[in-house]
Amino acid sequence: MTHLHVDELERIELDDGFEWRPIRRAFDIRAFGANAYAPGASGRVVEEHSESALGHEEIYLVLRGRARFTVDGNDHDLGPGQLVFVRDPALRRGAVALTDDTIVLALGGKPGAPHEPSAWEAMFAAVPAGREGRWDDAIRMHEEALEEHPGSAPLLYNLACMESRGGRPLDALLHLTDAVAQDPKWADYAAKDPDFDPIRAEQGFPA
Amino acid sequence: MSDGYEVLSLDDLDRLKSTDGELTLLPLRRTIGFQPFGVNAWLGASAGDQVIERHREQGGDEELYVVVRGRATFTLGEETFDAPPGTLVHAPPGTLRESIAADDDTVVLAVGATPGKAFRPSPWEDFYVAFAHRAAGRVEEARALVADTLARNPGTWQGPLNAACFEALEGNADAAFEQLRTAYDRAPAIIAKHAPEDGDLARLHSDPRWQELFG
Repeated sequence: MTHLHVDELERIELDDGFEWRPIRRAFDIRAFGANAYAPGASGRVVEEHSESALGHEEIYLVLRGRARFTVDGNDHDLGPGQLVFVRDPALRRGAVALTDDTIVLALGGKPGAPHEPSAWEAMFAAVPAGREGRWDDAIRMHEEALEEHPGSAPLLYNLACMESRGGRPLDALLHLTDAVAQDPKWADYAAKDPDFDPIRAEQGFPA
Repeated sequence: MSDGYEVLSLDDLDRLKSTDGELTLLPLRRTIGFQPFGVNAWLGASAGDQVIERHREQGGDEELYVVVRGRATFTLGEETFDAPPGTLVHAPPGTLRESIAADDDTVVLAVGATPGKAFRPSPWEDFYVAFAHRAAGRVEEARALVADTLARNPGTWQGPLNAACFEALEGNADAAFEQLRTAYDRAPAIIAKHAPEDGDLARLHSDPRWQELFG
């Protein structure tokens, strides 16, 4: 596949109520990050977040419609051909759509480093499988992503979530323990995460 | 607004013509100082204008083209197709690609880098800007940018080749040949193939030093 229209991309409605349209994954681009976003149920079109963990510089270009970006607490209403370049990864940024047809192109990467596809892409990609209870598919997607990101704590944690929901308590405990070993914050998350209700009473549950 | 971000429109960017007048670059990456990978826009002001030149990326870059507005006809390898706004075109390394505006005011974003390598801004951007300055009559500003770009990219053959083109266009044959010899010494086979095809160097062909270099 060499070309696609942005409306032909896979559409994955995420829990925050916006739609992720994966470009990098669609073409298996290895050199840079590229995704498109559209508004979902919440009207949000770019998740409110920072890039502190990844150290990415990001460009958000409005391809269609209009969006209100909030960057570092400042609002900017942008239309087609207008963009926000967020140089400082620590700045919080996000956007809500002002029209239903809004599409935002997001490009990002870390200066001075070869691009590595982000682990979160696999977690987002597995959302539909998890939502539909196709746990084996969701687990397989996480396992494949772990081959590319060995030891990734967020992937291990999410894999454990899928395994817990999918009736694999021992695997879930093992992978959750691996995530917690890297950072105790995952135990705090697990303590409140209903995905772990099926295994919460098991001996060795780390929360 | 803080120093950590900026807001702009592609229409705020300079519109820089190539030396032959065929291409118009909107130099996004250079303007905002984006460091992770290459990203620029190209404009076809009128239907029929070349938007993306016919070329293959040297050095392993993969590219993504995004039709921002207007409409383009893309050729990728053996395939030619219509590309309305919102079209995404992926060109793996080495693929022949070209884009022609099908509508007036067509803008295509080009994103590119080499997989597995940390991106380093290519000197072609600075040379392109220098040549555009020269075409606009800002010759000394252009010459200073050429010198600065050469200094920041030592040891390449592309740098002196571009400098040779600049000096040739300015009618400075001595300086042009000095740069051309440097480029030839660094990459004789490449320069012997490309220099005779480069229109910027055409006025040097009748000089005896051209025969010395290329027979």
